[in-house]
Amino acid sequence: MNSGEILTAVLESGETIEYIFDANAPRGGMKHTFFTPDRKYVVQFFNNPRDAHNIAMQDRIRTIVGIYNPTRSEADGGALGNTEKTADYFRSRFCWPVGIVKSPEFGIVCPTYPQNFFFGDGASTVLNLKGKDKKSNWFTGRNRRFLDSAELGDFRTMLKAATGLVRGIRRMHQAGLAHSDLSYNNVLIDPKSGSAVIIDIDSLVVPNKYAPEVCGTTGYIAPEVLATLEYNYDDSRRALPCVQTDLHALPVLIYEYLFLRHPLIGPKIYSTESAEKDDFLAMGPMATFIENPADTSNRPPDLNVTIKSLSKGLENLFLRAFVDGLHNPSERPTAMEWERELLRAWDRLTPCANPRCEKKWFILRDENDPVCPFCGTRAADKIIRLGFKSEMRGKKGVFREKSEVIVYNNIPLFDWHVLANVHNDEKASTDMRAYVCRYNGMWLLVNNGIEGMTSPAGRLVPKGSAVELKNGTVFRMTNRENGLLCEVQVY
Amino acid sequence: MDYIRRLPVYLLLDCSGSMSGEPIVAVNQGIKALISELKGDPKALETAYLSVITFDSSARQVTPLTELMLFKEPQLSTGGATALGGALKVLADCVKNEVRTTTDTQKGDWKPLVFLLTDGAPTDNIDEGIEAIKSVSIGNVIACGAGANANSNTLKKITNNVLMMNNLTAGDMAQFFAWVSDSIKVSSNSIDAKPGEAVQLPPPPQGFVIVP
Repeated sequence: MNSGEILTAVLESGETIEYIFDANAPRGGMKHTFFTPDRKYVVQFFNNPRDAHNIAMQDRIRTIVGIYNPTRSEADGGALGNTEKTADYFRSRFCWPVGIVKSPEFGIVCPTYPQNFFFGDGASTVLNLKGKDKKSNWFTGRNRRFLDSAELGDFRTMLKAATGLVRGIRRMHQAGLAHSDLSYNNVLIDPKSGSAVIIDIDSLVVPNKYAPEVCGTTGYIAPEVLATLEYNYDDSRRALPCVQTDLHALPVLIYEYLFLRHPLIGPKIYSTESAEKDDFLAMGPMATFIENPADTSNRPPDLNVTIKSLSKGLENLFLRAFVDGLHNPSERPTAMEWERELLRAWDRLTPCANPRCEKKWFILRDENDPVCPFCGTRAADKIIRLGFKSEMRGKKGVFREKSEVIVYNNIPLFDWHVLANVHNDEKASTDMRAYVCRYNGMWLLVNNGIEGMTSPAGRLVPKGSAVELKNGTVFRMTNRENGLLCEVQVY
Repeated sequence: MDYIRRLPVYLLLDCSGSMSGEPIVAVNQGIKALISELKGDPKALETAYLSVITFDSSARQVTPLTELMLFKEPQLSTGGATALGGALKVLADCVKNEVRTTTDTQKGDWKPLVFLLTDGAPTDNIDEGIEAIKSVSIGNVIACGAGANANSNTLKKITNNVLMMNNLTAGDMAQFFAWVSDSIKVSSNSIDAKPGEAVQLPPPPQGFVIVP
């Protein structure tokens, strides 16, 4: 076969798909990849024929493409309870395999990553990156210096990418699936738009199916997995990839996105015997969080921005993941907890007053001390906080805070800021229902399509009209069922 | 502050007279392609450092261990015999001088990765060279014998990892360098981090024979 020759693969569904043979096809640890002529899909085959003929593995992949597939609606043979809307949502977060090749040999068909996960023209003046995929370590390590600043995004877009990743993993874990090899290689990010896509889905750990023989990628392998690699695969002492090991790799990635450094790589030397031994201890049995408050042996001398620069909720999760849970997997926060705290942190995002601040945004830790942790600039405006309260069931007139928002000019508000029974998740509408803006020295919350919004005095606020935000103001986002109360605090 | 470990990579390239013409042109292009390919892999770009050692009637290091962004491809030319033993001695010296060891205050380098490409039988004593490389710490040595005159038995004395490439066409050479590049990527992303164990390299391209 010659490179450039167009071949045909037959799928188990009976359909056929064409792909372009390439003698130097990109090769990963497990598979090699060919593109379809329109480059919309890739056809992947296993490097090792033993893998391709492994019945247990084939069986596992069939369930991944079928009943565990969150990118297909239940009606279309996908995951239970999945609607077309949620399927569509997760299609943008995963490169989930869409078909199984039976001939010329066992393989899988996956969609190509969306275009924004490939570098375009002008990504770098010193490297030729056009067409390369955006592995996250282009952005989180030393390589950043080779990229055009327009590629790097800011703190807000990195927080958004982290949230997108966590959502995808939460969805997997909800179904009982574990990714098993989360790393910079298998999660592409586009800091410009703040998006993340999870790839290499075929190594998922599926309930009651023979687990794949992967252990992860250095730097992301859970310490207990690394520490027990010496045992055989079927030895009970060997720790295998599972949901709990994902819950180590996941915060490593989140930490890297937010701080652009690895949480376990610090100055500590664990062994002078060899680099390999040193790394084994540093990532495995002796791993120490660089920000461990009780053990500063691995703390770099130049740490200025730390987990204390984030929200208290995120700080606590990082401590649970990398202090309590580092060597004790059951202590690690779940993906759902990460999702919740990242969304809460999102609601406390504040633009930095310094126009030259590289990060542009920070998470407001303390309303009374609004200082950007990245550049040290104090907020120029007053801090305005909206508390959204819902009426407690069965206790008329008793309200409890559901969520909050620190406002800035043009911040959009959505259904979850209006209704008690809507949450910021894949099911919620992303239509903007209201926004806050600065107008003639006043801060206004403008109705953009909410039925039944009322002013503090109880008058209806129609679409296009606004409520002025003053300290102590209380009004209803809507007077309809499940409507939230909005309470304004100005600091 | 960075706490990055380096992955030293040594290319030992045969520049004897028999490599002249198409083969050496292909090697020069191969190095160029290798550098360009590795610069596209963020982990390799961060960690891999490359050195070129050539041998003909004698051996020398033509490019010291250099980070990829600063690496200038040498223009290799051919002529003379095949001083493979001498090349191994030069390699041992370079590893001794260039590869950092881990100390109480310094993160040392990973064990080096060595790719040897030769098209003929050595014309010097390779036993001294083999002794020399045994005295230094090397992760993987991959020897690739190219063409009909390469001797797999000799290469087997140097390392267990021996590949045979049937001919020396530009296409085969390009595949070899693509595979070297994949191997460096796999090593720098080293999936299996068991201490002291050699990293498993990707399977060689079609048409290459692994000598058992």
